[in-house]
Amino acid sequence: MNQRRLLPAVALVALALAGCSSSGGDSNPKSSGPPAGSAPAGTSSSSSGDGGAPSGNLTVWVDAARLPAAKAYQKVHPNVHLNIVTFDGDGNGASTLQTKIQLWNRTGNGWPDVIFSEQVQDPVWMARKPFNFAAPIKGLVPDNLLSKWPAPSTAQCTVDGVQVCVQDNLAQVVLWVNKKLMDQFHYTVPKTWQEWAALGQKAASEHPGYIVGTMGESFSHWIYLWGDQCPVQQADGNKVTINSGDSHCTRMASLVDPLIKNQSVPPLSVFTPDFAKKYGGKDDKILVMPGPAWYGLGVFHDTLHMPNGQITAAPPLQWESETPVTTGQVGGGPWIVSRHSKNMKAAGDFVTWETTVFKAKGGYPAYGPLADTWLVDLAKNPFFAADPGPALKAAASQIWQGWSLVTYPDQPVWSNTVVTKLVAGQSLSSLLKPFGDALAQAAQAQGYQVSRN
Amino acid sequence: MNAFSLSGTRSRATRVRGPRRVRGAMFVVPYLPLLLLFGLIPMGYALKLAFTDDKGNWVGFHNFTKTFNDYRFMPAFKHILVYTTVWLAGLMIFVVGLTLVLHSRASRVSSTYRFLFYMPGALAGASSVLLWLFMLDPAVSPGEFLLRHLLGADLFVKSIAPAHLPYIFAMIAFWTGAGGWIVVMYGALNTIPTELEEAARIDGAGPITIALRLKLPLIRKWIAYMLILSFATGTQLFVEPQLVNEASLGMVPDTWSSNQLAYQVAFRFGDFNAAAAISVDLLVIGLAGAILVVTRSGLFRRDE
Repeated sequence: MNQRRLLPAVALVALALAGCSSSGGDSNPKSSGPPAGSAPAGTSSSSSGDGGAPSGNLTVWVDAARLPAAKAYQKVHPNVHLNIVTFDGDGNGASTLQTKIQLWNRTGNGWPDVIFSEQVQDPVWMARKPFNFAAPIKGLVPDNLLSKWPAPSTAQCTVDGVQVCVQDNLAQVVLWVNKKLMDQFHYTVPKTWQEWAALGQKAASEHPGYIVGTMGESFSHWIYLWGDQCPVQQADGNKVTINSGDSHCTRMASLVDPLIKNQSVPPLSVFTPDFAKKYGGKDDKILVMPGPAWYGLGVFHDTLHMPNGQITAAPPLQWESETPVTTGQVGGGPWIVSRHSKNMKAAGDFVTWETTVFKAKGGYPAYGPLADTWLVDLAKNPFFAADPGPALKAAASQIWQGWSLVTYPDQPVWSNTVVTKLVAGQSLSSLLKPFGDALAQAAQAQGYQVSRN
Repeated sequence: MNAFSLSGTRSRATRVRGPRRVRGAMFVVPYLPLLLLFGLIPMGYALKLAFTDDKGNWVGFHNFTKTFNDYRFMPAFKHILVYTTVWLAGLMIFVVGLTLVLHSRASRVSSTYRFLFYMPGALAGASSVLLWLFMLDPAVSPGEFLLRHLLGADLFVKSIAPAHLPYIFAMIAFWTGAGGWIVVMYGALNTIPTELEEAARIDGAGPITIALRLKLPLIRKWIAYMLILSFATGTQLFVEPQLVNEASLGMVPDTWSSNQLAYQVAFRFGDFNAAAAISVDLLVIGLAGAILVVTRSGLFRRDE
């Protein structure tokens, strides 16, 4: 009787998990061969450098969204015997990977060769004790290609001075705009957070029910607080600074609170059926929404099923006239190679191919040259009212670097100390302190030295 | 764990009756390897882990104090306390009440009801949670008006507000478990000789008096049995909060129950020793609960 309670909990809301840059199948033909653009050499059968095609067995763990990408590799590399395992690599702080790696470490075998994770901070703990899983990426991905990832992306993959992953896609936050509705209501697209808040007030009084954003995601703080340089996650080795009382946090909270109250920024996740029903579909009610690059197709198209010709992107919002403009980041999953792999050559070739050759539909490729060809395709996509490319490209270099990646997941902390309380009617301003306290507890439990000021 | 405590006491009872000891052992032997492999050895291993560190050195109660001081420990046990109390109270009152009512009805009607009561129990574990996730979502739930008026929830996230959770989990557990227990209790009531009931009726006892003064004392042991099993299942709650954690996109903490905390400590933080300490806490609580009920109800006393 007790055993049934211990059944491993199965993942259920696949719809939400597909969130981070879903590449679920439709319209855009996927390139199964090398793309036309400035693709690097060393693709299909010849691996770059040390001669001979990769072969042998290769076990890769990917999320559902990356499954087509892994299958595409198999197609062009018949010599590699690919064993693909999908798992719920979701971005809400799931611990699947930790549990699995712990078990493999304990039994001394079973490690996959390559893992894709939707959680951008995963390489941090994977590279450290007690996990010790991630292999240095240098030498696995050719140097001349490795240098073409944007510097901030490389920095995020560098743990204790060693690069241990390559990012699959960038997840820079931009302002998504519903051009059709904005034109219809004669609103102008906001450029600053202040204009954005004014738009929220205006919409609430003139067109109640329409929204300018949401605060109900497990990652909403990455959109609103990260973008405004709120210092709640500044790690330096084993020390982390959590200062949720900083003016960069409080000013954003006081800006958003009236909008949460007038319901133009509801505390509801875009991945819930409730949200889709209220704000999605044919008669969608989203005027603008700050969100990451993969929202474009992943959320507005795949999840909310909005019609073609409505959505486009505008540059990230600026705080008054402050420069430089900074923005947040939501996701941007990394590829990690196992240090236990018996087939490093094929593992390196696989990761290289996935990140520099294969063009996924949803996410903005992290690898520079691939991003350029991806943007060309994006411009032709009939889903968008106008080309979102320029805004995305500009935002790619504006992600604020003061938000460190840490070994503890901050999303559940945000969800259960802030979002649940916002739902219950409390203000974000009043929740910043509990949020900081809970983050500090989570950090201490992971062995960080916490400083708060 | 309960199986262990039951068989332990039972074998002592056998010993008292001397000569039948060997024959009694024959019945127990086939179960012994299973008990050892899946009951006693893991339990011993957990005990060893709980009192040692990751290198196998003896550390006394260090793992216990460490987990006790963990910021998630008290909330998790508080949740479990509220949940188990609500659930057991509900189970006791409704299962016994419904069974007594059912048993005093004409048998044709009652067999239909018995089946109806049992129905939700056919949907066990994870699948029942999935069903309940829909039931709790006002957008799709057939009980939408109840959610709106009782819980004040017009959104799923409001249905599963932290304060509601112990009651919601208790409700889920009740609906999936109560039917089976009603059938068991009904079976227990059927063992009461009809002469007793008739005698009571001749003495002028009405249906309520018969139910409360005659039937209830006679099925006391079955109620105790239900309490012991349910108490342990209750304190070891895992699947329900874990699934709600995933369905709510993390709004419900993944360390809501103590069992989940043990799981997280073991597999996210890699501290198997601390996790073992929490498991031992749960074991002690389960055993203490069982002992309390056994001694208070005279479950294994045979001389009545």
